[in-house]
Amino acid sequence: VSTRTVGRERALGAESQHQREDELLARCESLVAEALRAGADEAEAFAAHADQSLATFEKGDLKLAHVDEGSSIGLRVFKDQRLGFAATNQFDHASLASVARNAVALASASPADPANRLPEARPITMVPSLVHPGLAAFGIDESVDLGHTLLTRAQAFDPRLSVDGANAGVSRASRAIHTTRGVRAVESDAMVTLSIAGMAVDGADVGGFHYQSDAVRDPSRVDAALRELVDEFARTSVENLAAQRAPNSYQGLVLLSPDAFLDLFVAPVLAASSAIAVQRGRSALGKRLGDRIGAPGFSIADAPEDRELAGAASFDREGQPALHFTLVEDGFLRGWLYNGYAAAVEGRASTGHARGGARGAPGLGAHAVCVPGGGGGDRAAMLGTLQRGLLVQRFSGSVDPASGDFSGVAKSSRWVEGGRVHGPVRETLLSGNAYQLLARIAALGTTPERVDGSARAPWALVDGLSVTAG
Amino acid sequence: MLEPMQSPAADPTDLLHEALAEAAGGFVELRWHKKETRGISVEKGRVDNATSSEHSGVGVRVLEQGTFGFASTDRLEKGAIVRAIGQARAAARASSRARRERVPDLPAVALARGRFDTPGVDATRERSIEAALEMLLEVERGARASSSRVTSASTSYAEIFEEKGIVTSDGAKVWTRTVRPEFRVVAVAAKAGEMQRGAEAVGVTGGWECLFETRSAAQLAEKAAQQAVDLLDAGYPEGGRTQVLLSPALVGLLTHEAVGHTVEADFVASGSCAAGRLGTRVASDLVTLCDSGVSEYHDGAGGTMFVDDEGVAAQRATVIENGFLRSYLHDRESAARLGVAPTGNARAWEYDDEPLIRMRNTYIAPGTSSLDEMIAGVEDGYLLDGASNGQADANGEFMFGTREAYRIVRGKKGPLLRGVNISGSAFDVLQTVDAVGAEFRWDLGSGHCGKGQPAKVDAGGPWLRCEVLLGGRKS
Repeated sequence: VSTRTVGRERALGAESQHQREDELLARCESLVAEALRAGADEAEAFAAHADQSLATFEKGDLKLAHVDEGSSIGLRVFKDQRLGFAATNQFDHASLASVARNAVALASASPADPANRLPEARPITMVPSLVHPGLAAFGIDESVDLGHTLLTRAQAFDPRLSVDGANAGVSRASRAIHTTRGVRAVESDAMVTLSIAGMAVDGADVGGFHYQSDAVRDPSRVDAALRELVDEFARTSVENLAAQRAPNSYQGLVLLSPDAFLDLFVAPVLAASSAIAVQRGRSALGKRLGDRIGAPGFSIADAPEDRELAGAASFDREGQPALHFTLVEDGFLRGWLYNGYAAAVEGRASTGHARGGARGAPGLGAHAVCVPGGGGGDRAAMLGTLQRGLLVQRFSGSVDPASGDFSGVAKSSRWVEGGRVHGPVRETLLSGNAYQLLARIAALGTTPERVDGSARAPWALVDGLSVTAG
Repeated sequence: MLEPMQSPAADPTDLLHEALAEAAGGFVELRWHKKETRGISVEKGRVDNATSSEHSGVGVRVLEQGTFGFASTDRLEKGAIVRAIGQARAAARASSRARRERVPDLPAVALARGRFDTPGVDATRERSIEAALEMLLEVERGARASSSRVTSASTSYAEIFEEKGIVTSDGAKVWTRTVRPEFRVVAVAAKAGEMQRGAEAVGVTGGWECLFETRSAAQLAEKAAQQAVDLLDAGYPEGGRTQVLLSPALVGLLTHEAVGHTVEADFVASGSCAAGRLGTRVASDLVTLCDSGVSEYHDGAGGTMFVDDEGVAAQRATVIENGFLRSYLHDRESAARLGVAPTGNARAWEYDDEPLIRMRNTYIAPGTSSLDEMIAGVEDGYLLDGASNGQADANGEFMFGTREAYRIVRGKKGPLLRGVNISGSAFDVLQTVDAVGAEFRWDLGSGHCGKGQPAKVDAGGPWLRCEVLLGGRKS
């Protein structure tokens, strides 16, 4: 399969993008040939190029203007079904020859595994418009202007806001793959990235730390994204001031923001849905395929076709098509995520979930996670359902993917009384078990929200969480 | 035997110096930085990863029109470095209009010159990767065989070689080499549909012998497997504010997360809870807390470095002395603003990252109590061990995870309970310290700190008795 980003709008920068894509493919081909000369039976070269302009702000002022461009290439080889991998950012012949020899040397030292083989080439449908022509000329000047606007808007919101750090910039990336199994693909992507972090300070009262980030491909969306980002950050940070201890500890309903819901409940399901975790006996959901694992209405999908999410992609780290995949549907566990290795263990096709970059061998994971909304209404309606208890906007803690046990601090959290936000609370801990509580999702908000530009999820009301007041 | 992919034939600082001479003018900092990683991971008898990677290049930072500009090149060639200096200057000029408060010229400070190698670089390079692979397979097999309840085990080993040449227009000229090996083992045990995980990790600055000086790989694996099995039958602690004994690993997390971040001068300038508190009491008088580029008390601390990435000697900074806040952690810019000497805390993860204020080896100095005495002094509380992840906010509110908990009632330690997260406000917790152990240990394992860029750090201390908020299950 030979694929490239065809049908894109050609504009300023498009020629250089195509030139770069051709160059990456040529480097991959050359390294694969080098690997075969070094003794590999099979070889896969994956190259990545990125250039970025980034304005970094600190303490409410410009800290650094950063311009950067670089490439890396990684080589995976199999020799007698033994695995080796090597990578470099040096593209002279001697370095590439050394990469090939090291990959083969590592393979020679490794034990054989019958599942060690590269996946066959499959047709790829390209996701259109991952590179908007309007971003071709976006450089350090535009990054500085954007960052300045971001900072000015935050400072105008409330003088008590202290912006600890903020970034604005553009990153343009291309990735290419070539293998001895006929996989040959290249794709480019460009995004404006925004982030802001800090807190509100009022005399001796230092409010809870908060951060927001976003990634946007469409330049016409940047201004709106910036406004939403700053306003949400500023409002939350200011409202974190004058936090009190929660009035009581309890076990029961907690209202979780999309961000907190993803961390506490969706991330462990994704980890347990790795086919490798299932095959190796470390998935808590390993024997529950087809079972109900969550409340009715709870679903998880991977949507690499969603261009509004940073993980949108046409193919995965092994050059396999990245396709829409439903993991959980209406509470029922529907499938596992496979990369080439996990698929080979079971003699089936990969689901296109090999992940990673040029500097490491392919891993396994989802591209762009989406949790559909439910019938819980908007945030106000869900507060009404909660009536009394804790609202959590960010979870700072750990979730053990093996057991599902989680424990951590409820950040930017609020106490709710009579279905309304009563005020911010501090030093409040959350704990529970994600796999057990999935069945106790009491309501999902109607409209999913974009989280950090990389996922979509709704607000969620979950029963049975332990809340420890400070 | 794996081969280095690229290495300068001679001292890299000579070439940097030549490039600097050709593009002289204003403050320029050049850092050639090569990172070479060799790693293997094994799970259930299968090799998941056998990797050798090498990435190198030159990071260029300039100060022009009161603004820092940064650019990088992946070529160790004079022409490419000179071009990168030009790009960094152009970036600084282009962005200086957005800079409200100009960075003053950096004052003269003592900058390092010469060659600095941490121990173990050559010996580790000569050790075959095959030997490491053999060890990983054997230890992983042993962990699985240790109990019928262990369903899965994995082991991983990595050695990270770093070589840097740093030249600045105001006199630094250093060449450093470091190696940091890491070992990690995870075991998963299952019973009646429930799973628990045990994990142990160790990471040092030094060679293989240093890595396994205290405990062998097999002992670490045995501990991880036992922990996973024991946790299956363990209950949950109750939540609430309580007296605890923190192990050296958890003291390390406390010093790093709860205190260390709040005294990084960039966080201080943003209004962290340590701002304006120099000279005031922030802890009980039993607490002396330092951050050092040197591996104090025991060799091998993971964040050991002789010179930071601005060319400043990475000396010890005494942050809290007998309960009083004495110093922040500085780079050259923040030190100049406060009129103090830089502490050698500027660190960059790779060549294309700019130096940030980061910790190195952070610790609480040992006291005089024995662990038995400390347990005997607890009326009702918990002994906590095994560090998991941790985070802290600028207001000093921290959280970190523990793997094991033991209830202590009237001075007697009870059975194992499942680990939980603990939280508190840094300086409030340090004020409650009423006993500090005599035995010292570096114990952040293979942990890295994340602050925009990763950084290899270490932390530790003695056992410590204090009060925290415990996130239990039956509140």
